[in-house]
Amino acid sequence: MLDVRELTVHDGRSRPLVRGVSFSVGPGETVGLVGESGSGKSLTARALVSLLPPGLRAGGSALLAGKELVGAKGLRGVRGHAVSLLMQDPFTMLNPLTTIGTHILESLPGRGSRAEVLRRLAEVGITDPAVAARFPFQLSGGMRQRVALAAALAKDPGLLIADEPTTALDVTTQAEVLALLRRLQVERQMGLVLITHDLRVARSACDRVLVMYAGALVESAPSGELDKPAHPYTSGLLRSVPSATHRQPVLLGIPGSVPAAADVADRCPFADRCTWVEDACTDHAPPLVDLGDRSTACRRHDEIDLGHVGDDDVDPTVRVAVGDTLLDVVDVVKTYRSTGFRPTSFTALEGVSLHVTEGESLAVVGESGSGKTTLARTVLGLTDATEGRITLGGVDVTSYRRLRKAQRAQARRLVQCVFQDPYSSLNPAHTIGYALTEALRQRTATDLATEVDELLDLVGLPTSYAKRLPAALSGGQRQRVAIARALAVRPRLLVCDEPVAALDVSVQAQVLEVLRKANRELGIALLFITHDLAVARQVTDRVVVMHRGRIVEHGPTAEVLDAPTHPYTARLVASIPGTAPRTGGETHVAQ
Amino acid sequence: MRARARIARKVPGAIPVFALGLVVIAALGGDWLAPYDPGAQDLANTAMPPSGAHWLGTDDLGRDVLSRLVSGARIALLGPAVVAIGVAVLATVIGLLAGYRGGWVDSAIMRGVDLVYAVPPLLVAIVVVGVFGGGYPLAIGVLIALSVPADVRMVRSAVLAQRNLAYVESARTVGVGRGRILFTHLLPNVLPTVVANLLLTFVSALVGLAALAFLGLGVGTGAPDWGRMLAENKGMLDLNPAAMAAPAVLITVVAASVTLIGDRVYDRMAARGRDVGRA
Repeated sequence: MLDVRELTVHDGRSRPLVRGVSFSVGPGETVGLVGESGSGKSLTARALVSLLPPGLRAGGSALLAGKELVGAKGLRGVRGHAVSLLMQDPFTMLNPLTTIGTHILESLPGRGSRAEVLRRLAEVGITDPAVAARFPFQLSGGMRQRVALAAALAKDPGLLIADEPTTALDVTTQAEVLALLRRLQVERQMGLVLITHDLRVARSACDRVLVMYAGALVESAPSGELDKPAHPYTSGLLRSVPSATHRQPVLLGIPGSVPAAADVADRCPFADRCTWVEDACTDHAPPLVDLGDRSTACRRHDEIDLGHVGDDDVDPTVRVAVGDTLLDVVDVVKTYRSTGFRPTSFTALEGVSLHVTEGESLAVVGESGSGKTTLARTVLGLTDATEGRITLGGVDVTSYRRLRKAQRAQARRLVQCVFQDPYSSLNPAHTIGYALTEALRQRTATDLATEVDELLDLVGLPTSYAKRLPAALSGGQRQRVAIARALAVRPRLLVCDEPVAALDVSVQAQVLEVLRKANRELGIALLFITHDLAVARQVTDRVVVMHRGRIVEHGPTAEVLDAPTHPYTARLVASIPGTAPRTGGETHVAQ
Repeated sequence: MRARARIARKVPGAIPVFALGLVVIAALGGDWLAPYDPGAQDLANTAMPPSGAHWLGTDDLGRDVLSRLVSGARIALLGPAVVAIGVAVLATVIGLLAGYRGGWVDSAIMRGVDLVYAVPPLLVAIVVVGVFGGGYPLAIGVLIALSVPADVRMVRSAVLAQRNLAYVESARTVGVGRGRILFTHLLPNVLPTVVANLLLTFVSALVGLAALAFLGLGVGTGAPDWGRMLAENKGMLDLNPAAMAAPAVLITVVAASVTLIGDRVYDRMAARGRDVGRA
């Protein structure tokens, strides 16, 4: 149905961003387009609907039912009718001043009726007719994504392109939206191109997976055979993903970071990070080789054995923390109040108690709004708890403001933090060396220059980076600097608030390894906040599950994830995109 | 801001720099560059139109207009510069404090700012300088006091945007003191705003001081000041139009040049240290 041949995207200076991508999508088929940031997956999708950012040009050919999409004028009859695009962010996608009903109505072909609007909403699982009269801000993210889906499908397109449709959603909502996409696609016999950075999502939701890297297609395989990769990058990517079912002894990331597509235009894009690289790999861009039902862009695919991903070793060590209690949180309540004409209040934490032992690593998991970040901020003293008590290393730190100066300094040295966004956690005006030196001074370290080098070495960065500004570093490198800065104070507790949520998979593994090293080798206790159960399993010994400001379950990570007792935990575990292809609930529909 | 930036891009970069450069040279050279003594009267040649001897003609006391313009350049740049720097320093300190401390400190500062903001600046300047005898230092002081509030708001909002970013909170958890966070972490990141504002304040002070001088306030009688020249020479517009047009053109050119340069400086500074790939 859709036949893409040698699709290219160039920027204003004719530098390639996507080079020669070819694939096809049949009716009722789901094709996953997987890649890290900068792989060109979103540009490929946007080129198909002529929605490229200004200044970019598309080349090559894309035939949709015999009609050329690339470079075509007058796409009004095609866009929406034949091919539709579902975008990532459900929070900005809908016009805030227009009701849900109007959104659907204006998308319907011809003169739509109210009954038709309600029928369309029911199709995406919104059965309450009152929703049609509501405004987007009154709906949750998952509901908005459903509305956007109904609008995208209003003109009954034969092909739907979904660009990271579930990335901004919580795990349980993600599972629901993916199942919905799957059901609609089967019912309508519609082609679906699902763009995602998450290999687990692609494997569980797609028939075929295309792996993109730095603007090029490197491998195409049926999702069931992805665990026997034919390209080193796919193999590396699969091994970088932590598993929710077991803990790996070492999480192998891929060294280095993703290059810009234009810099690797005439060579194998993955050569710089590949273990099997040889001189010929960098001579010219390797073509996609057809291997029957799959294809790979690795010219050495028949010489190297990438093995079977999934039967790697399991780290059986169960660490039971013995030692003194380092952090003790007792019945902490945090209520936010707004003052003014109509005072409102919101309780983020409703009596949370937990403790962290010296050298232990504790995960706090939960979805957005569960209060896990608020908990981290109260522990760090960035906000004061309304009620309850927090003790850190024997000092009552419930309110940092009420501490005496010496005590505050002592508490500050005990606990450090790593935040989610690597782009804002370093001051753009100062060099890496400056940031580390400043932290070292707080500890009255003596030999600053040597210690800066040691810190960079500890987190796996070259010592020459001390002279660089944060702008010259990638997200993963910045996050490692942020960890180095936290370790500079030699804390006994490191609070990590979603430290890898903003990073690409291959880089995430490197950062997780640095954190695990800090925990195992330096004996620093971790309070690890995450929404990703697989990451929690890889890094932590014990877990607490939070839901709406309360702890609903706690215990050793392995036990809780293998046999959850609280219904909410069970739902979280069931929502993890399966490592096995295409399983779970609604997605399992016979073709 | 955006419309001006668009115009700024169309004007070749060298023009405002060149124009301002000439005025700065005049300010540095002063009386030494002027062809005649700016105060010397020649009652035989009053209100002469431009000629080979007097390029811009003479005024109603026979003084050379060009020499008075060159001689007046120093005070024309110095006064606004003092106002602009004074405002920038005061507003940055107060704005940083209000934005970072928050609470009652912020409330107190901002209500004071609102109060001063509510009065029309030039009107107050005329009354105050007029009532208290119109000294030049007083005129400068009044302009500083009346221009600070707008900048305080600007700096405060820039600080509010930065203070909850992870790098500030990391510095707090590492144990960096409040003063250090304010001046080594927040200040460099609000500096582009401060510098861009400094140049805008310069422009409004230039025009403001010229307006006061036009009304006979601020600069002493007889001093070669552009604003005062406008007032003195307006009676002889038909005899020597250049005597009035030249200071008016100069004030406009300096104001426009500084504004254009300010936009470029802001773009440069704001671009430094930012990511290219991320908005």
